[in-house]
Amino acid sequence: MDAITQNLDLFWSGFLRSLTICLWGAVGSLILGTIIATCRVAPVAPLRTFGTAWVTVIRNCPLTVVLVMFAFGLPEIGINADFYTFGLAGLIIYTSAFVCEGLRAGINSVSAGQAEAARAIGLTFTQSLTQIVLPQAFRTSIPPVGSVIIAMIKNSAVVGAFGVGRDLFSVGESLTSAQGYAALPVLTGVAIGYLMMTLPAGLGLGALERRVAIAR
Amino acid sequence: MTDAPTDTNPTDSAARTPEPAAPTHRPLVVLEKVNKHFGDLHVLKDIDLTIGEGEVVVVIGPSGSGKSTLCRAINRLETFESGTIQIDGVSLPDEGKELAKLRADVGMVFQSFNLFAHKTIRENVTLGPIKVRGLDKDKANERADQLLKRVGITEQADKYPAQLSGGQQQRVAIARALAMDPKVMLFDEPTSALDPEMINEVLDVMTGLAKDGMTMIVVTHEMGFARRAANRVVFMSEGRIVEENTPQEFFTNPKSSRAKDFLSKILTH
Amino acid sequence: MRQNRKAFAAALAVAALTLSACGSGSADGVKVADKPSFEAGTTMATISAAGKMKVGTKFDQPGFGLKGLDGKLAGFDVEVAKIIAGALGIKAENIEWTESPSKLREELIEKGTVDMVAATYTINDKRKERITFAGPYYVAGQQLMVKSANTKITGPADLKANPDQKVCSVTGSTPAEQIKPFLADPNQLVLFDVYDKCANSLRTDQVQVVTTDNVILLGFVSKSDKAFKLVGEQFTKEPYGIGIKKGDVKFCEFINKTLKDNEAAYTKAWADTAGKVEGAAPATLPEPAPCS
Repeated sequence: MDAITQNLDLFWSGFLRSLTICLWGAVGSLILGTIIATCRVAPVAPLRTFGTAWVTVIRNCPLTVVLVMFAFGLPEIGINADFYTFGLAGLIIYTSAFVCEGLRAGINSVSAGQAEAARAIGLTFTQSLTQIVLPQAFRTSIPPVGSVIIAMIKNSAVVGAFGVGRDLFSVGESLTSAQGYAALPVLTGVAIGYLMMTLPAGLGLGALERRVAIAR
Repeated sequence: MTDAPTDTNPTDSAARTPEPAAPTHRPLVVLEKVNKHFGDLHVLKDIDLTIGEGEVVVVIGPSGSGKSTLCRAINRLETFESGTIQIDGVSLPDEGKELAKLRADVGMVFQSFNLFAHKTIRENVTLGPIKVRGLDKDKANERADQLLKRVGITEQADKYPAQLSGGQQQRVAIARALAMDPKVMLFDEPTSALDPEMINEVLDVMTGLAKDGMTMIVVTHEMGFARRAANRVVFMSEGRIVEENTPQEFFTNPKSSRAKDFLSKILTH
Repeated sequence: MRQNRKAFAAALAVAALTLSACGSGSADGVKVADKPSFEAGTTMATISAAGKMKVGTKFDQPGFGLKGLDGKLAGFDVEVAKIIAGALGIKAENIEWTESPSKLREELIEKGTVDMVAATYTINDKRKERITFAGPYYVAGQQLMVKSANTKITGPADLKANPDQKVCSVTGSTPAEQIKPFLADPNQLVLFDVYDKCANSLRTDQVQVVTTDNVILLGFVSKSDKAFKLVGEQFTKEPYGIGIKKGDVKFCEFINKTLKDNEAAYTKAWADTAGKVEGAAPATLPEPAPCS
């Protein structure tokens, strides 16, 4: 356990950096995923095609490939940015495809009558989506989208390896290889760090689900 | 699918009285040559129909006759391929903000109520006025409470739809439509999903509306309501308007063979 | 992977045939002792009696330990290991190679998966807590590599004044730790799992500086067609040691003595591998540190 206690500050800073990546990632992918999901149910055919293509391509690509595209592909064609920006963008875009599908499952669970009633009182497509369909879809989508977000927290460890660094997983790497600490205790510390993010996320989602379930 | 020979039955055609009731009414909803297909199925065939202001028109017919589709086409929840539908002199536009504006003037009551499940009863009634008409929240609430009182829903305003009975939900749905001050109200089988003991509470509200002069198009199987409240009965079969007449004439002296056949089936017991 | 292994095995078989045709003795210039005898109970006696040796090295380090497409390992570390094995009477083909990435080296030694590790293994105190180092057999030094057109950075001292110049290194490597005091802020450091990615990012202007041991950088410079250059002096000393089980002083001393006795083979090994890179200085065997 010395490996953890002696390096608590490192673990803590890695935890905070991972947490920051995850928070931006969650916010970004929820927004982008909602936009893509909106495209997929939009009454405009080109938007639907765009949404479907987005999900099909990105959901079927390994995260590593998406990240390589950003970190090494874009600079090849002269697009340079911070690796942090690239990594976060890759994570958000990758996760958005899954958020979109989770939301779409929720949208499909909202009966067509709800949208018809919304349109019948004169709400526009956007209004009926934001006022009627999405709020109900979000409720049903909490479990699937929650799983996606938890998966994203774990995926943030992959992002660290694309020039981002200093995240929780990279701290573990650094302690084991450069400083010669034994892998098992260090990785235990890393695992605890991730659990400190995923477990509260899971609990929070459960609580959220119960709350909106009562409000129904 | 080939047209049944009875479609061109001379008796049926003759049964159509061109401008049957109340010529004093200003035309409010005008359908001309409206056609619609579901795939190969021709569900609306050259529909011509004019509903005057303040008129109550009941549309009846066997299931699959296209009466629900007709009702839904009037506020374009169903698209149609050809023909025109005008509401108060304005043709239905395609999807978009214009259509939304026009729909706000057409109240719609659905068979399955379709109250917004995540909003309270009061919010269901105020949403349209606030979001579409731009009413401020207090005024909208005040008006909502009046309308809820009118349909007989009191002290339930803060509940959610699922906590109300079917009859109560349908009356809220009527209040929700009324809140938009519609020019015309469409009822798409409003009592078909209700338990028998709740049907009357809804019909009573509808009868009250009719008495107050609301223009109404009602798709229903409730012949009692048709006799009591309708100015005109429109009988549809296989996508066509086969016969239209006053309730009195229609029920006692149907002209077309299909109307006779239909009435004999529903009125014999 | 399977393909590689097959190719490797085939290559070994061919090598064995060739060797047996030439008779015993030396393979690629490395002396193999004929039935050497060792004090009973020592590591040397055990390995020698077993007739084979388990060695950990890197498989992805050009010039030191790189597994080629033909499945063969090549590099300075590999040659040094062969010299030591030879002194134990073990032929090159009887060495079992185990890939030893940086973070696994101590564990491989502690668990006895390998008898020794020669894998660009910098001697430091933290590591000495878990294992014993023989050597050093080479002293590398950390340097900076930049694009040839870069005039902003002439050495580590320029980094603080140019925080926009991103420095790339490998996660968890000693160079990554040692560059930190020269940086304006932690965000200036970009970390990858391998140096290839750093070099690639230098080419595409994602980073402006790559830092690690001079020998590794020289490999990239020579491959870059004059696009990259080294700047500044070597600002650290990275003594490479051979990792063995903690406290095995006799084996440590044996390794040091073997290297001393085979200086000619050592010099040739360097010249044939990492020393081939343009700009690399010839290697001289450093004075060994006391074994403990």
